[in-house]
Amino acid sequence: MSTVTILALLVVGFFTGGFGAVAGIGGGVIITPLLMMYFGLPMQQAIGVTLVAVIATSTATSSLFVERHVTDIRLGMTLEIATTVGAMIAALLAPHVDRRTLAVLFTVFLLYTAFSLVKKAWDTRKQKKHDEVADYTVHNYPIGMGASLIAGGMSGLLGIGGGPIKVPVMLLFMKVPLRVAAATSNFMIGVTAATSALIYWGRGDVNISVATPLVAGVFAGSLLGARLAPKVRPVYVLGLLIVLLSWLGIQMLARLLSGGIH
Amino acid sequence: MPSTSNSATPAATNRTDPAADRVVALTLKIGAYLAFSLIAAGLVMQIWLPMGKRVASAGLLVLLFTPLVRIVVAGLQFAHERDWKYVVVSTVVLGVMVLAYALGIKV
Repeated sequence: MSTVTILALLVVGFFTGGFGAVAGIGGGVIITPLLMMYFGLPMQQAIGVTLVAVIATSTATSSLFVERHVTDIRLGMTLEIATTVGAMIAALLAPHVDRRTLAVLFTVFLLYTAFSLVKKAWDTRKQKKHDEVADYTVHNYPIGMGASLIAGGMSGLLGIGGGPIKVPVMLLFMKVPLRVAAATSNFMIGVTAATSALIYWGRGDVNISVATPLVAGVFAGSLLGARLAPKVRPVYVLGLLIVLLSWLGIQMLARLLSGGIH
Repeated sequence: MPSTSNSATPAATNRTDPAADRVVALTLKIGAYLAFSLIAAGLVMQIWLPMGKRVASAGLLVLLFTPLVRIVVAGLQFAHERDWKYVVVSTVVLGVMVLAYALGIKV
């Protein structure tokens, strides 16, 4: 692999990790289409590599969030029962699913993520800074487990972390405060993605030459991003990510319609 | 804001276990920095030495197994706190991951 490609992967990893940590997303939805469209990776390999990058973001950022006591470890580990089962089944099924179907699902999820960031940007405009999290009681475990099973399945199938599925469910149905929900979802992603990554790795779909520079960049970016996150107003980062995601979504749609993915 | 939760029901809020937070955060931090160091060192070594690639892949494996170690550490911490319910939860999650690993090798 050329030095330019290695450097490009480092840069992609750094910015995805950094912006992802500030905006509170794992960045899986950004990495997979970039690897497919600009680095020429087949879909299964792009997903395998993305899973490893997603573990890196989760591990780097959640080490800090757990330390700050905003992560509900017990809730996270309970929901991990469902996410890992979903991830395992989906990762085993993934090679047998039609690639166009996967690409359509992926594009839908990508646009949904863009939409959820628009909502987040809108909410942070009005929101005041608050450091204390109020006490809460977790409700509706069955709904949380169901959503986690789906999020895990999407993770195993598409390589994403599934935060935009879990966070709203924890917030609306389980009555968990937003900051705790986001930190807990992020915490769960490492275990969820590792479960499917082990299967992709065993199948030879984790391209090591691509994964290593990308992951190095992701680590550096997300460690920096997570440290800056409390000090930065995320609105601009969110705006940038919304533009990027919409653009990637349009590119993916164009490829799907022109038959570029088959 | 005063707490409205009853102290007799510790399950009401699960976020009041600083000891567990500390060991879990430490595990994740060690995993992250070890993986990052190996991958970064491997990438630099790769310029001159072919074995750099193996060092970098070792870093990826450390990364892949960090979540698994994190579950074991959390499970041991819950056992230390005699919180058996969450010892069971940790064991089940670990079981699913080990199963995925076993199936992953065969596929």
